[in-house]
Amino acid sequence: MTTVLAPVDGAVVPLSAVPDPVFSQAMVGPGAAIDPPRRPGRALAPIAGRLVKLHPHAYVVVGGDGRGVLVHLGIDTVQLKGAGFELLATEGEMVRAGQPVVAWDPGMVEAGGRSPLCPVVALDATSGAVGPVAEGEVRAGDELFQWTETGPDRSRDV
Amino acid sequence: MAERKVTVESEVGLHARPAATFVQTATRAPVDVTVRKVGGDGRVASARSILSVLALDVRYGDTIVISAEGDGAEAVLDQLVEIVSVP
Repeated sequence: MTTVLAPVDGAVVPLSAVPDPVFSQAMVGPGAAIDPPRRPGRALAPIAGRLVKLHPHAYVVVGGDGRGVLVHLGIDTVQLKGAGFELLATEGEMVRAGQPVVAWDPGMVEAGGRSPLCPVVALDATSGAVGPVAEGEVRAGDELFQWTETGPDRSRDV
Repeated sequence: MAERKVTVESEVGLHARPAATFVQTATRAPVDVTVRKVGGDGRVASARSILSVLALDVRYGDTIVISAEGDGAEAVLDQLVEIVSVP
């Protein structure tokens, strides 16, 4: 069981509401999204583990059990090429759950014509593997959902 | 063992939508598929794991080798090559 924390403040919305089929169709895994307030803020690590990928607009933390959680800061924000995002951690480092990883401004993302919704995804998990999801408003660092069962083993490197 | 060596033409590399489509296609295939990056650290990733594929950090212009064995291998490799060949 992995407790996944909300990386940002905001209202919890279902992944199906995210305007990108990668997330809305759960192509990379189940989870939830957060609609953040339009003000500068810091995005936190959702679990403790290694920060295996760190892009300005997205990052992946892998826990000791090999489970990876993806946090994506806004939709199509790869196109911003890092403008408006500040890295607060280093790729490859160990982070604690709730540690700040990226500073950004959802208001700026929205002003640029993009959705600032933040999908939080249990990578490679089956749809039933994500337990109760928080409802309503959450604060960054609050529990967002539980990643309960292990799905079929698809994460094995060969 | 069937194998394809292909240069990644998608602008975002093997991330985001191309990565998701790639993994979804490999997951539906009847055979195990692996992928590695030419000039990478030699790691061979399961093409069925989005985490493994993202961790390979394949970017635009990188060359990857996709491998599979068994009935249906050629067909799925052709599909995967097409996914990464779309700009």
